[in-house]
Amino acid sequence: MTVKVLTEGIGELNLRDIDVYTKRGGYEQWKRVATELKPADVIDLVSKSGLRGRGGAGFPTGRKWQFLPNNGHPRYMVCNCDEAEPGTFKDRMLLEETPHQIIEGMLIGSYAIGSHHAFIYIRGEFKRGHEIFTKALAEARAAGFVGQKLFGTDYGLEITVHRGAGAYICGEETALLNSLEGKRGEPRLKPPFPAVQGLYSEPTVVNNVETLAYLPYILKNGPEWFAKAGPEKSPGFKVVSVSGHVKRAGNFEVALGTTLRELLALAGGPRDGHRIVAVQPGGGSSACLFEEHLDLSYDFDTMAANKTMLGSGAIVYFDETTDFVKAAHALVRFYAHESCGQCSPCREGGHWLELTLERLLHGDGLQSDIDMMLAIARQLTGINLCPLGDSIEPFLASVIRRFESQFRAYVKKKAVAEKAVMA
Amino acid sequence: MSEQRDFQAVLAQVKPEADRLIAQYPQSRSALLPILHAFQNVEGWVSPEAIDAAARMLGLERSVVESTASFYTLFFRRPVGTYMLQVCRNMSCQLNGAEEIMSYLREKLNVGHFETTYDGRFSYEEVECLAACDRAPCMQVNLEFVYDLTREKIDEMLRAMYAGTFETKPLPQTAKPEHTWRVGQEPQRRSPGARGVVDPNDPGGMGDSSGMRMLERLVDDPLLIAARPTNERLVRDGAEIVRDR
Repeated sequence: MTVKVLTEGIGELNLRDIDVYTKRGGYEQWKRVATELKPADVIDLVSKSGLRGRGGAGFPTGRKWQFLPNNGHPRYMVCNCDEAEPGTFKDRMLLEETPHQIIEGMLIGSYAIGSHHAFIYIRGEFKRGHEIFTKALAEARAAGFVGQKLFGTDYGLEITVHRGAGAYICGEETALLNSLEGKRGEPRLKPPFPAVQGLYSEPTVVNNVETLAYLPYILKNGPEWFAKAGPEKSPGFKVVSVSGHVKRAGNFEVALGTTLRELLALAGGPRDGHRIVAVQPGGGSSACLFEEHLDLSYDFDTMAANKTMLGSGAIVYFDETTDFVKAAHALVRFYAHESCGQCSPCREGGHWLELTLERLLHGDGLQSDIDMMLAIARQLTGINLCPLGDSIEPFLASVIRRFESQFRAYVKKKAVAEKAVMA
Repeated sequence: MSEQRDFQAVLAQVKPEADRLIAQYPQSRSALLPILHAFQNVEGWVSPEAIDAAARMLGLERSVVESTASFYTLFFRRPVGTYMLQVCRNMSCQLNGAEEIMSYLREKLNVGHFETTYDGRFSYEEVECLAACDRAPCMQVNLEFVYDLTREKIDEMLRAMYAGTFETKPLPQTAKPEHTWRVGQEPQRRSPGARGVVDPNDPGGMGDSSGMRMLERLVDDPLLIAARPTNERLVRDGAEIVRDR
């Protein structure tokens, strides 16, 4: 059921070594692209494959590339490796295990959009990954895959490795660009979109690590190979990070359209004697699905139709032992902590929700708190500069609606304790 | 402590690296984060001198650098312990027992969130998802991962750290850490009012007038009126008393 495209050889071969990577056909597609294909051909092939962004928003990659204006300005390609969505750990694996795949993807992507300077923004916590990638890049440069006048053509590309310093919000593309410019990682007002005014106010494309890593394979096997896998509207393969209450958490590469139950089975199933009651299908920002949804197909559109999202492809399974008040608190605290503080609804709303949940957990909650939390969460959604504020509501609201009794039980704890004191 | 440090030596070490970093970018300001990382690698923290030096290298205002550095949690603007222990407190780790791990470490080291042990060896922080959910609960020690945490594993790790045999190198420490490396009033941000939002008459809530009453009492007391000549001062001191409670 699993496929091996990006994950092939991980755990068996030392793919960090450029010789091992080239022996398996690495950088061949880059050479073919640079010497035989025109940028427009590459964009065309990628559009035909139906590849959608693997970072969270799921925007068609080929279309994103076509938005760049033809104004003669320098263009930039930025690879987003600021993976910090709760539950996601695929980009870190790709970064640490197969850095050359990412470099090749960046080269192909940059060539397609006509960029001569690419950046990769690596999350500050990935110190090891940063070292591995820097070393791999030096190898690729020494081997003549990165630099000026590549393969005797006029095309040249510089790649700069940039390390962040611990801010989740920098995964949002405009915040990432600000951070890359040496500023506070605060999202910008859109429009103008990065495609028009991005890095240094020049046209910029920001692509996720996984999106770029798929490019060599799409070119090698043809767009039909990619488009054929999975449902028509969201085709292709995806590395899915599965964790939570499962026996064998890990990254699994599957064709989109695999069901949530099959993914659960891949991860070894629920712990012995337990059953899964809820699943969060797209990282911390997505709404929960429940046991009756386990047979849903895991792809962008089915998830969206069920009022949640595929997001970054991080699935967390919860079994019946989960305390959803604590779970909600963990995620709300995360967003309250990571809010950049620009927009009041997100900054204040997240903070107050965290305090309310804390009060509930300490047994000081009121009956009215539950409705109040739903109201706050609803009101802070959709009125922020970036999607961080909007990410608070989905999980909180979905678990409150489903497991309201757990939340009420925390309120009752207080009432019971008070009665005991009075008596 | 800071006046004893030889910052010129630090600067001499970082300068060539900084020049190389600046040359990588079309605009020099982009090198700000990497330069601050470089200073922290040498000193173990981002000192005021480092901020000053970075500002001069890039032709920025000091306040701009300070403001940017303060946005990012991985820049420590106060000295920290030689081992920075960062335990993940997010979802997948919590589902797999991170709470127990956190309370064990807190107890064992006698520290809390954002605190450094008194010997200056360990700093402890509870952080958000570290992207190692497949091997939860997890933590980072000086940004190197430690996976599948158990009590035994923590004991073993701490022993190795004391013995100096731990695989991850300790951070450089150029100044003695204080109890916390947070700048500002962050740990006290939970005002009593936070809990009184629903019932404004709870202590500290919007309708709580105890602070006002205290001010009134102060105003009524003839001795205090004599001791506090100006109105402005009275209000300020009154506010301080309320806050200190």
